[in-house]
Amino acid sequence: MNYQFLVETFFVALSGVPIALLVTIVAMLVALPLGFLLALTRVNKIPVIHHIAKIYVSFVRGTPIIIQIFIIYSSIPLLLKMIFEKYNIAYDIYKINPIWYAFIVFAFSTTAILIEVFRSALSTIEKGQLEAAHAVGLSTIQAYRRIIIPQALVVAMPNICTATVNLIKATSLGYAMSLPEITLKAKVAANVGYNYVEAYIDIFIVYLILCSTVEYIFKRYEKHLSKFKVAKA
Amino acid sequence: MEKYFDASYIWNSIPVLLPFLKVTFLVAGSSIVLGTIFGLLLAAAKLSSIKLLQTLANLYTTIMRCTPSIVLLFLVYYGVPALAENFGINLHSIDTAIFVVVTFTLQFAAIMSEVIRSAYLAINRGQFEAAVSVGLTPFQAYRRIIFPQALVIALPNFGNGMIALLQEGALAYTIGLIDIVGKANLIIASNINAHALEIYIALAIVYWVLSIIIEKFFAMLEKFFGKGKKTLETT
Repeated sequence: MNYQFLVETFFVALSGVPIALLVTIVAMLVALPLGFLLALTRVNKIPVIHHIAKIYVSFVRGTPIIIQIFIIYSSIPLLLKMIFEKYNIAYDIYKINPIWYAFIVFAFSTTAILIEVFRSALSTIEKGQLEAAHAVGLSTIQAYRRIIIPQALVVAMPNICTATVNLIKATSLGYAMSLPEITLKAKVAANVGYNYVEAYIDIFIVYLILCSTVEYIFKRYEKHLSKFKVAKA
Repeated sequence: MEKYFDASYIWNSIPVLLPFLKVTFLVAGSSIVLGTIFGLLLAAAKLSSIKLLQTLANLYTTIMRCTPSIVLLFLVYYGVPALAENFGINLHSIDTAIFVVVTFTLQFAAIMSEVIRSAYLAINRGQFEAAVSVGLTPFQAYRRIIFPQALVIALPNFGNGMIALLQEGALAYTIGLIDIVGKANLIIASNINAHALEIYIALAIVYWVLSIIIEKFFAMLEKFFGKGKKTLETT
């Protein structure tokens, strides 16, 4: 065991945290509203869209994320190439920063997960809540914003936490898109002297710290939210 | 489109890939069996009255939940032989499949311990007391009363855990296991990286179909085992 390397690489791995967090946050920012809207189409059974959403969720849940990465990472350059050739845009597609692919892949998969999270959360809210809100004169949008969403969010929070932690963990697969995040950075550092054990211990510790922090923040927030829950069964 | 994308590759590669599902199943199956046993022990530790055991089991679950599969995979793959070397044991020549099974057993056990624990806690304590009061031994009470009810509650989560394990298992190719993903990568390499997309789509289809089958199978099991279950239809 090379302890000096262990300590040095820890900071190398730590320097990948901003990228991992950036990908997580962007993916979440895209996935939260999109997932919610698509969950609404599922709950309200909007024709066509809710079937598409169903197939989409089934696909994402049914295939390993690494294969989704492979597919998106190899299909988007092909698509872009065709578009660029058609419109004579002189831009080298191989110069695109891999982080864009990461945004697309992780937003794609997280949206599907969140559709299910929101769908189950919305289904725990009784229909009477919406009717009552309508009865006192709120519009549907107001009813959702003030009555339904705050309640559904409390129910959805633990699952959103799990989804976030899973997303952070999934960014470790960014190496397949040569995204310089935690895993890839430490691995590259280890390549020089074959210090893989040390490198992976470092990566392990970094993820442990990162994920437990995120879990802790969510727990605190959940506690804060549950204050608004007055009636207890 | 025809220049870059040729759908016939998808259909032609599936028959080549399918025989390698055997490896995927073998690895996933062993991990599920071993992981369930280990998970049962962990759940027992969590439910025991000994504080130390509880803390250890909970710590283990938290650590496993926070570790990406790929990191755990490499940690086991590089770490265990290095550790064994200190004791003079050479583990460098054993099959990669063993490392994969060890990794996913560790991970699946963490998932299962939570599944088992929550299923056990969902059964009302009064059930056990009632069973004992009519003259069953504690073991009989567990086997005949608690277990059948807990099983029905655990089944959907067990199914989800299995699907998750199957998908995380796709990462085993990174340490050189020739399962279905490993074979797909070999095919792509032999094509000099041409038509990678089609082969990956074929892979996605195989996994998708598998997951749907598992999901349907567990829904069926749930119906079968849940036939005696009567709850208030509140939701």
